[in-house]
Amino acid sequence: MTALMLRRALALGAALAPIVAAAPATAQAVDYSALEAMIGEPVTTSVIGKPQRASEVAASVTIITADQIARSPARDLPGLLKGYAGVDVNRWTAGQSDVAVRGGVQTYNARLLVLVDGRQVYLDHYGLTDWNLLGVQLEEIQQIELVRGPAAALFGFNAASGVVNIITKRGGDSASARATAAAGDHGFSRLAGTAMLPLGGSVRARVSAGRLREDERRLPAGLLAPTPIVDVAADQVAGELSARWGTTEAVLGGGYASNEQIEYLPSQLLSNQHYRSSNVHAGLTHDTPWGGATLNGYVNWLDADYGEEGSDGVNRVSAPIENRLVAVKAAALYRLDTDDTLRVGGEYRNSRMRGPAQFARTIAYDVASLDAMLDLHPLDRVGVSAAARVDRLWLGQSGVIAQPVLDDPAAFDRAFTRLSFNAALVVRTSANGRLRLNGGRGYQLPSLVSFGFRLPLAVPTPVPIVITGSPRIRPVAVWSGELGYTHALGATRLEATAFYTRTNDAIASPGDGLEPHLDLFLTPAPVLAARFAAVGDYATYGTEWQASGRVAALDWRVNYTWTATDGDLAGTTLPIPYALAPRATTPRHKANAALGYDGGRWYASALARYTSATRQFAFSTLQQLRLYRVDDAVAFDARAGYRLSSAFELFVAGENLSLGDGAAGSPIPADRRVRGGLRVTL
Amino acid sequence: MSHVRELIGAAMVAGSVVAPLPLQAELNVPIAVRVVSFLQPPPSGVMPAAIVVAPGNAASLADAAAIERALGGGATAGKATLRTKRVPVTALDSLTGYRVAFVTAGTREDQGAIAAAAARSSVVTITSDDACVQAARCVVGIGSGARVQITVNRAAARAANARFGSAFLMLVKEI
Repeated sequence: MTALMLRRALALGAALAPIVAAAPATAQAVDYSALEAMIGEPVTTSVIGKPQRASEVAASVTIITADQIARSPARDLPGLLKGYAGVDVNRWTAGQSDVAVRGGVQTYNARLLVLVDGRQVYLDHYGLTDWNLLGVQLEEIQQIELVRGPAAALFGFNAASGVVNIITKRGGDSASARATAAAGDHGFSRLAGTAMLPLGGSVRARVSAGRLREDERRLPAGLLAPTPIVDVAADQVAGELSARWGTTEAVLGGGYASNEQIEYLPSQLLSNQHYRSSNVHAGLTHDTPWGGATLNGYVNWLDADYGEEGSDGVNRVSAPIENRLVAVKAAALYRLDTDDTLRVGGEYRNSRMRGPAQFARTIAYDVASLDAMLDLHPLDRVGVSAAARVDRLWLGQSGVIAQPVLDDPAAFDRAFTRLSFNAALVVRTSANGRLRLNGGRGYQLPSLVSFGFRLPLAVPTPVPIVITGSPRIRPVAVWSGELGYTHALGATRLEATAFYTRTNDAIASPGDGLEPHLDLFLTPAPVLAARFAAVGDYATYGTEWQASGRVAALDWRVNYTWTATDGDLAGTTLPIPYALAPRATTPRHKANAALGYDGGRWYASALARYTSATRQFAFSTLQQLRLYRVDDAVAFDARAGYRLSSAFELFVAGENLSLGDGAAGSPIPADRRVRGGLRVTL
Repeated sequence: MSHVRELIGAAMVAGSVVAPLPLQAELNVPIAVRVVSFLQPPPSGVMPAAIVVAPGNAASLADAAAIERALGGGATAGKATLRTKRVPVTALDSLTGYRVAFVTAGTREDQGAIAAAAARSSVVTITSDDACVQAARCVVGIGSGARVQITVNRAAARAANARFGSAFLMLVKEI
């Protein structure tokens, strides 16, 4: 950290101290499991920061419960999310998935904020999510909350199109453990487990670990690919201590995870990556008669080896990146009245990226934020909420500058402020019906990579080309609005939503056919620069229709999503200068039908998915960025289990049993994957 | 806003007085037990729980029997284990020593006395009778519909020296 950054950090710390001391924090210690058991439906804090029934929130929220996770055919989080309305899950390779909310499908999607117990787990240097590096096992998840639509006023930058909030289980007063051992075709093997241990008094410990191995899918001829292609390997270990004194709870934890897999980069080059991440986190929550207060802090470290062993497609160059994120958050939730609440909070973040493939040795930013949310119920059947957040970012660089210099170093000495906001109105139209209208504006922060990355292309060209970020790039503004209606008919829940989302100044990585977009630098040795750039605006709009219910031992859900995309971006005719074309990459139609049965000893679940055809980017062996047709597909997933006792269960599960090539939404056709295993619950 | 609520609340109380007494449903015991776990500070160990009954009232006795059946030998509420014992409305002074009391159906005529005794002994009263809660004579009411509705009366809670976690209070209807 430079002296300047240190001074900023100290100043921000001093500024936040009164907030931490006087006004406490965000979510109080919420026992989601106990609250769900009491009111008979999941509880979420992801919409306005206070606990709410899932059926009463003023946003489109999907909550996947621990029971649904346990019976799902899915083998990971993207697999769980893919069966719900309003999300596109593209499994580009066996290990790499992207989750896009309401359109805008692209690799390394940086518009989705992913949290585990409030701690950011997406990788800050690009804003991407490596779902095999989250450091959390399916066995320890209490619920997964998917908020569709911007939630930046509550969560800050990068909750631009949605939020996935993963809530882990709290330990009880007795020791417990869950473990899964599974093996399948395509080299699949998974060992995962979690244990919760009371250590006396009100102190509890939780440990978890996982090991995953899986072969890569077969790449079709004609796609540019590195040699060799690595298979998926992911290993994780984590631990946490918690203690409770009266109405105060403290948590201290940490973890380590590593993941090796082949991925599509934002440029759409296939590249072998090796990530290693670790974190420490601590939190303090205090419950009071007037509400709750929280103080949280965490540090995430990442070592990423891009183009491992020179496997970055044709480039044959590697780009190691070190990223460290420090974040401190404080918030308070005040009950103004029996129904009305006010939430205020503050956050400070410092993210630093170091590596040889950058403008300078270190590219970093500091962000200070203040937010407030007001939730009012002027009438018994009417709820109004409004939230706003101000983020101020200071960008900087330090250390040795790469030659030749392509930007004025002073361009990195830059600061900007952005205001995000959300507003919502919920009207209970009848005993069983609710109408909601909400909207807002959020921002996707340009990543450290898009600010300061720099890597010379190894491809011989008459004038050397350097792929580079831009310190002048602006945050991406995302505007959204939605109108939704939910209706309960006994145990059946119906929901219809119309949405509109507009993305301004979408950022894309350089692709192919760059000639009109290259900057020539007449340094002693001429260099051409191809930059990350804001390539235009686009809008997505559509409807989501959902129904779910339960009949005796059967539970079911169906949903359909229609998504249309308008906007002029860089274009899709050859040569394609930038790898971003949401109209081509986002499916217009998606439909899912899920059925589950739980008869005690036996249970079974099945998911049928239809996805309409799309075109997805990839480089051909001719080193040309192209859009490849991905056919429409009907994929069928299923799982069946038999409980030998309350502790032991045997299961068999399969994904894409129908062998739909387009089921993965990737230029690499999907294959069928079947596995079986044993689950132990003690 | 609070005037609107007061008017609505007053109308509901008045309505309950004027209208014929509704048939009271049996207490949803599993939910009542879970409510107990949200008391602050969280209860622990063996926790005596009273079942307030009106001797000779068939509805009250049936409700009491249903509560006992549901609880069996004792139910777990967080770190606490509930052990129930019947307390007749004719001996409300014996509520002393209890932290929680389940007020059965058919005790409406005695709810004033029950509230007074509960306040003296700092007992949290839980009932299926919404009118008892609306009238600030019971602390917690649990609705009988398919959708779980829990009502907490602030005045009754204050009188009983009862405090709940804020997350709990944000999910229930507080009056």
